[in-house]
Amino acid sequence: MIFLTVGTQFPFDRLVKAVDAAAETGRICDEIYAQIGDSAYRPLNFEYIKYLEKRSFDDYVEKASRIISHAGIGTITMAMDNNKPILVMPRLKRYGEVVNDHQVAIARRFEQMGYIFAVYGTDRFQQRIEEFLSFVPRPRGNNAEVVIGRINKFLSEISI
Amino acid sequence: MQRRMKVCLAASGGGHLSQMLKLIDSWQGYETFYITTAEIVKEQLQKLGKVYVVGECNRCSLLRTVKVLLCCMKIIFMERPDVVISTGAAAGCISCFLGKLTGAKVIWVDSITNIERLSVSGRMVRFIADLFFVQWPELTAKYRGVQFAGTVI
Repeated sequence: MIFLTVGTQFPFDRLVKAVDAAAETGRICDEIYAQIGDSAYRPLNFEYIKYLEKRSFDDYVEKASRIISHAGIGTITMAMDNNKPILVMPRLKRYGEVVNDHQVAIARRFEQMGYIFAVYGTDRFQQRIEEFLSFVPRPRGNNAEVVIGRINKFLSEISI
Repeated sequence: MQRRMKVCLAASGGGHLSQMLKLIDSWQGYETFYITTAEIVKEQLQKLGKVYVVGECNRCSLLRTVKVLLCCMKIIFMERPDVVISTGAAAGCISCFLGKLTGAKVIWVDSITNIERLSVSGRMVRFIADLFFVQWPELTAKYRGVQFAGTVI
C-alpha cells in the first residue's frame, strides 16, 4: 500500500491530482490510501480521508510500503524513522499552497543526502513516479552524534 | 551528597519534539523533566520522565502566550533546572528565558526547518544561549555565536 499524505494546513490539489493520474494510467499499480486535508480535488482512483487521527496516521505510515507527501519536515522525518521510501513534492507559494518556499530547500537538502526522492513539479511527475517505485533511500547512521557529543560534554563540564 | 543536575527539556509537539528526542543520549544520567505543548504527546513522553503540558502558543496570540508564560513560570520556578535544552518553538523560547532568569544554562537547537534564517525564537534565545546549534552550515556565516555540528535527523 502507498500512503499519500499532504499535511493538514493548506490544500495541495496539485499532488493529489498527479497521484490520481498516475493511478488512472496504471503507473502506480499498488493500492493507494490518502489523507488529503483541505484539498478540493477528490481522487477517483483510490480511497481517501480528509484527516486521520494521529494514531491511525502512524498506523498507515507503518503499513505503507512507500509514502508520497508534501515536503513537510514532520512527514519526511517520520518516513525516515520508519525506513520508508518517500517521494516528496514541495508546496509552492505561487500556488497558494504554503506561506513561503521553504519546502523546496528542505526537499533539496534531504534529496542531496539521498534520504528522499523529490519531484519539483507536476510536469515530469508521471515519469518520475516510476523511478520512485524502485528508489532505495540511503541508509543512515546516527546523524545527531556530534550534537549529542557536544551537549554531553557541556553538561559534564558544568556538573562538576 | 551532591545533588544530581536537573535538565529541563522544552519542545513543542510535532517536529520540534521529534528533533529533541533524537538527542536523548545527551542527558543520560541526569534528572530530567519535559515541557511540551500538546496533550497528544504526553503519553509517549511519560515513559521518559516527568511531563508538563503548557498548551500551544505563538507570537500572534497574546492571551495564549501570557497563559503559557505563566504556566512555564510556575514550572521553572518550582523545578529550578540547572540547564534548559530546547528545540523550539515559542514555549521552548519562553522556558529558556525563564531558565536563564533563575540561573540555568541554556542550550538551543534551532529546527532543521530554518534554512535561510534562524527561527524567531532562535533569534531571541541566541543572546542568552550558552550553546546554540543550527542545522544548516550556511547559517553560521550569518549569525555570530552559533555552531553547526550536523543535522540531528
